[in-house]
Amino acid sequence: MRPRTLKALAIAAAWLVAWEGVVRLGLINQIILAAPSDVIRAAATDGGLFLDAFATTALEIGAAIVIAWALGIGTGVIVGGSYRLSAAVAPILSSLFAIPLIILYPLLMAWLGIGSMSKVVFGVLSGFFPIALNTIDGVRAIDRRYLVFARSIGATRLQTYARIVFPLALPSIVSGLRVGTGLVVIGVVVTEMLASLGGIGFLISYHRTLFNTGHVYFGIVLALVMAVTVNIGLTWVERRIGLWRTLEQANG
Amino acid sequence: MSTPVIEVSKLNKTFSAGRADVQALADVSFTVEQGQFVTLVGPSGCGKSTLLQIMAGLTGPTSGEVRIEGEPIRAPMPEKIGMVFQDPTLLPWSTALANVEFPLDLRGVDRATRRGRCTALLELVGLREFADHYPHELSGGMRQRVAIARGLAQDPRLILMDEPFAALDEQTRTRMGHDLLDIWEKTRKTVFFITHSLAEAIYLSDVVLVMSTRPGRILDTIPINLPRPREIDIIGSEAFGRLRNRIWHMITEARA
Repeated sequence: MRPRTLKALAIAAAWLVAWEGVVRLGLINQIILAAPSDVIRAAATDGGLFLDAFATTALEIGAAIVIAWALGIGTGVIVGGSYRLSAAVAPILSSLFAIPLIILYPLLMAWLGIGSMSKVVFGVLSGFFPIALNTIDGVRAIDRRYLVFARSIGATRLQTYARIVFPLALPSIVSGLRVGTGLVVIGVVVTEMLASLGGIGFLISYHRTLFNTGHVYFGIVLALVMAVTVNIGLTWVERRIGLWRTLEQANG
Repeated sequence: MSTPVIEVSKLNKTFSAGRADVQALADVSFTVEQGQFVTLVGPSGCGKSTLLQIMAGLTGPTSGEVRIEGEPIRAPMPEKIGMVFQDPTLLPWSTALANVEFPLDLRGVDRATRRGRCTALLELVGLREFADHYPHELSGGMRQRVAIARGLAQDPRLILMDEPFAALDEQTRTRMGHDLLDIWEKTRKTVFFITHSLAEAIYLSDVVLVMSTRPGRILDTIPINLPRPREIDIIGSEAFGRLRNRIWHMITEARA
């Protein structure tokens, strides 16, 4: 192992020991701060339950991300491609984006129940607006001379969108994805905490009411793992697209 | 005599701008014969680009008609007309070669044919060794050369060029003009070129069309009988100077 990695591990170990010590010595109430050993004990006793919950939440988040991306980018490209549509629709989307969507959740619950469906739908709603709005902006901002060029070489509408408009709008679309995807994760976990029968959010919320702080912390760690995984995926996507984004900047 | 490549007859174009109508083109007529290099010169905002857009089928006239090889134009004809714009509009994520291939790619031309033809075109514009470079790695002049090669990709009979060298510095611009003549002589395409530079127009063309300020109308059609192949030195000659003065007076007096 490289010395830098060793150093980082040593610091992390020192923190954990200090953390454990602070709780064991009674300096901080165990209900507020669970010791690392409590978290490990929670994992040992209820690991299976948490694993199921993790799978549920991961599935909800995965489905919501796919749908939010598809709907957001699709809507954005269609609306952004038409001057009239974007003049009519973009202001509505922006004002909807400004509403705290969580106030709609009781309605979703009434319509869809407290199962996974309402979580996915809420996740999609959370992510949809920034993705759609950024896509609209990206498509609208395209240099119109590219559209003239496309017509001059006889490109079909589909070819113009797929081969010219979409790639030119990508940098803006990707920044929408970054914001939107983060909101999907938050949306799913938060609604699980509000009312549900499964998922990491549900377990966190449930154990909080029982003052099982070790379990709560374990749930938080799992939620973090999920958020970090999503973030790594996004960074990967960004890097693949980033290759020509830097080309573009050098060009401009 | 064969049909002219371009026949523009009694073209008018009026834009409605709020309450007032703006007349961009007034009764424009001319013809361009096969293999000619014809340049339209006129002050900025005189409707030159509007005329080119109509000739390319990108927009319609208010009245009148444009025929390309006898066929009235109503929509772009990519297999007959290649275009080069002031901005090269290259795709930043594609190499020079892929940019030249792009129009053929969209038409479904197979990779090997595409590659062969477009490599030859890059060679023609002097960029063979830059085939794998991305647009941001090329100078402004080189990018415009790629755009010219791209305009030739579908092997059109006619090339329309809308101030293609306007954004380049003086030296690059002169050089590009010289090389464009070379390309023109090798390919025997018909070229219709737009510029506001009188020297560029005279240096390049067989015929210069002089356009007035808005509403754009053709003031005169001036044959340029300077010998070919032309070298850059010709710009300093007496005959060249006389032509330039004549066009200059024509434009300024029409404005007054």
